[in-house]
Amino acid sequence: MSAPIATLLDDETVNAVAAEVWSALVGEDEVLVPGDGPVADGRSAWVGVEGPWSGLVVLTCSASATDDLTRAVLQLAPAEELADEDVDDVLRELANILGGNVKSLLPGPSTLGLPQTGTPPQPGTDVRPVGATWRGHPLTITVQGATEAPVHHPTTEVTP
Amino acid sequence: MKILVADDSRVMRQIVIRTLRQAGWDDVDVVEAVDGADALVKIAEEDPDLVLSDWNMPEMTGIDCLRELRARGSAVPFGFVTSEGSPEMRETAAEAGALFLIAKPFTADTFRDQLGSVLA
Repeated sequence: MSAPIATLLDDETVNAVAAEVWSALVGEDEVLVPGDGPVADGRSAWVGVEGPWSGLVVLTCSASATDDLTRAVLQLAPAEELADEDVDDVLRELANILGGNVKSLLPGPSTLGLPQTGTPPQPGTDVRPVGATWRGHPLTITVQGATEAPVHHPTTEVTP
Repeated sequence: MKILVADDSRVMRQIVIRTLRQAGWDDVDVVEAVDGADALVKIAEEDPDLVLSDWNMPEMTGIDCLRELRARGSAVPFGFVTSEGSPEMRETAAEAGALFLIAKPFTADTFRDQLGSVLA
């Protein structure tokens, strides 16, 4: 079993990664303020890491943040309509890049999966949630260890 | 001048194209591909001067696309723009024939540094 995520990453490191991603993708002058969170009822995107440490990097944004975030990343005018697919795509890409950068700080070699949106798997005990605020919107970046898959007990078919 | 941008994310293709423009290549023709398999087809059709490809994509990954291109005898200049840039990935990319690997997040300066000599 690998070391727990709490001993591999600290909040400052996750915040530094997120700040760099935000500055490059959301906007050069966009500031991610550490603290706040967790987001109780938001939209999530995540990406899996598999290697000596396996788990997920999950980005959860408050409902109020997702539209602003998509507009900022795509540099859309306020009057332009947002496609739902673009909102998911932006969240997936942010999670993907956050995951790739977090992965590079963890013991390797490891591989990164394809990003997804929806309801992420529930975290177990190996979890580091890092809260932040962007333009007043709360968001959370959660690095969570893989929870064990449920044990499957095959049944034996008895033929008469 | 023509550049093919392969990424399964439409948003990321848009950001790559925007960064190309910001880096000074505002008059290049851009062809978009949604994964490695689509890139293979469009590279054969469009004969681009450079391919900028994501690594992790459904259907066919960027590295498999590059290997297939080289196996077919194509020498098209190829670089990765991907969300991770571990030493192992950089080595794998170089061995397969990639000219560079740009890790996301990137800036227009990164593009100028890496693409400058290829598109000179």
